[in-house]
Amino acid sequence: MALDEEALMWVEKYRPKNLGEIVDLRDIVESLKAFMRNPKTMPHLLLAGIPGTGKTTVALCIARELFGQNWKTFTLELNASDERGIDTVRDRIKDFSRYSRAAFGNVPFALVILDESDQMTGPAQTALRRIMETSARTCRFILICNQSGKIIEPIQSRCAIFRFSKLDKKAMTEHLLCIAKKEKVILSVEAADRIVEYSEGDLRHAINALQTASVYREGVVDEKTVLQVIGEASPKQVQLMINKALNGDFIEARKMMYDLIGTYGFSGSEIVRQMQRELLKLSYLSAEEKAELTNVIGEYDFRLTQGANSDIQLSALLAQFAKVGKSKGESN
Amino acid sequence: MKNDLLWVEKYRPKKIADVIGNEEAKASFAEWLKSKRRIKKAVLLYGPPGVGKTALVNAASNEFDFRVIEMNASDTRTEKAINKVAGPATSFVALDKFSTESQGNLLFLDEVDGVAGKEDRGGIGAIIKIVEESRVPVIMAANDPELEKLRPLKKVCLLIRFQQVRIPLIIAMLRRICAKEHIEAEFEALERIAQNSRGDVRSAINDLQSLAGEKRVLTLQDTMVLRSRNKDISMYETLKGFFSAKSLAEAATLLSYSSVDYDDLLLSVSDNLPRRYLDPVELATAYDFVSQADVFRGKIGTENWHLLRYFYNCLAESFKPFEFIFPPIRIITLFWTKSKRVTLEGICAKIAARCHVSRETAKHSFVPFVKIFLERQESNPISSWFKLEPEEVDYLIKMNRY
Repeated sequence: MALDEEALMWVEKYRPKNLGEIVDLRDIVESLKAFMRNPKTMPHLLLAGIPGTGKTTVALCIARELFGQNWKTFTLELNASDERGIDTVRDRIKDFSRYSRAAFGNVPFALVILDESDQMTGPAQTALRRIMETSARTCRFILICNQSGKIIEPIQSRCAIFRFSKLDKKAMTEHLLCIAKKEKVILSVEAADRIVEYSEGDLRHAINALQTASVYREGVVDEKTVLQVIGEASPKQVQLMINKALNGDFIEARKMMYDLIGTYGFSGSEIVRQMQRELLKLSYLSAEEKAELTNVIGEYDFRLTQGANSDIQLSALLAQFAKVGKSKGESN
Repeated sequence: MKNDLLWVEKYRPKKIADVIGNEEAKASFAEWLKSKRRIKKAVLLYGPPGVGKTALVNAASNEFDFRVIEMNASDTRTEKAINKVAGPATSFVALDKFSTESQGNLLFLDEVDGVAGKEDRGGIGAIIKIVEESRVPVIMAANDPELEKLRPLKKVCLLIRFQQVRIPLIIAMLRRICAKEHIEAEFEALERIAQNSRGDVRSAINDLQSLAGEKRVLTLQDTMVLRSRNKDISMYETLKGFFSAKSLAEAATLLSYSSVDYDDLLLSVSDNLPRRYLDPVELATAYDFVSQADVFRGKIGTENWHLLRYFYNCLAESFKPFEFIFPPIRIITLFWTKSKRVTLEGICAKIAARCHVSRETAKHSFVPFVKIFLERQESNPISSWFKLEPEEVDYLIKMNRY
């Protein structure tokens, strides 16, 4: 990417370039700045938290602060969920640590950013731990994950852990209004609030929604447009699938599940994640029923990681939904 | 119903003498187990499946009053798991000895060649450590002792080799079972079963049970349905036989013949469940079985097929005959949708490269929005920023919403 080429997705265009610009993460930023003042003291980092709260942004800012303009030369950015196996990760890290050994200024190491590292299996993580040990002299790792619990303990103990919680709603609203102003889009406060509410603390989602809304009507984003965007962009198939299953139409629900996997190539864990999200929005279920189904989802989320075929696990999960749906039908 | 119990379980040997064949192996094992000062603390029994390795360990410990602490392929055998079970079991030898009649504990690791390098990382290392530190006898069983990863084990163990059991011995054994089950069997029928088993006692007993079924008399004619063990059976035949099986034993036998791809088999089974179980509660229960079978399948990995007999037992229980469909829906769906999926994956990879996210995140957090941009303004510069090809833009616009 040429340096002067302007990013067109607002999430990239307004991604903070240095730690000072980051929204609402004061404590984390303060501790990190201390490391930046004396990079030699920087340990491996583990950034954990829900999506869209700034983990990748923080990692990229660190890279920029450490290496300035040349950050790309000294930074290896990997995404664990995209790399096919630990071997690819290992080879790339090995090569990288070999060739970018040259220290930069007073920074005696190169940086490896491993995103979505909780997607790695246990054995892969064990291998990663070895890699971290063998390349400790030349590399610092920033591991990014959603759930730190899915990272094996030996890795956790080698890292300074930073937890990212949901972003503050007010800060998010302000940020959206600020972006809108720079883009010369008129954004009403109500519309901004709607977006924030919808994105559940995920700033990436919020900014994407804002940008999408801005193409509906040139330069104006009001509440109505936002609702329309939310309607069009939210995962309807998953909603429908849950409804079918709960109504006892298991075969139809399963067909939709096959479609999500087949046509769109969604992974099992992503479908489960969306099911969990959509489940909580269903108005016709009681709190107890939601709790019960959440439990079921948790169990099958675990089995997904253990099992061999995600569609079998998802089918079994839908069968559980149909069962709950049936007992609900009888009690009414 | 007499089919409720698998005969291989029902007629499991209680004493060393009950284990048929492999006299030499039995003798050296018994000698090793009885001796007070063992030169080698561990023993590795190896040989083809179904010749009595596990049976011998259970029979011997029964006879000599050892308490067997067993781990087999259904347990995850990571270093941690092994230490958790084996650690305490191997150190508290004295207490047990004095307080009860028991000789104490005996650690039995069945199917050590199933300690896959992948899932059970550190497993072999942990086993060796246990052997070195153990104060109780450690017994291991494996099918293929030549496996590279077992090599370190071979150094610390006494090796005892098991061979295929001779046919006359198997025939005699089958006769004894027939007598106890009140079945009149023709000698030729039993001979055919025994020969067909190729020295695998377990499969011979399974065959006998499934052929006998509810019959009181077993003739040579009845055994004609037996298939040669090394002949492949197609997926279709496997499924057909599986879904029309009248008992657990019959299903288990059929599966042990078949060499179909197990993932395909599982998927087909999964496909057919809602046709068999119309009641949601039953369906959920049946699926739970299949789901567990799949978890198990995931743990075993692909290295050691015969371990799947655990999975058969678990799977076959959920089955009764019904009309089935084949091939698996998923395979058809994936086939028809492949080109679409590949296009979408390509688009996601481009988005991922631009926005520092994974392809998966690109798919759910970006694609729905980018699609709307492009629907609204086909010439939106965003497509060239993402370096999307015209056909990719076209695809996104025409794609159904998820």
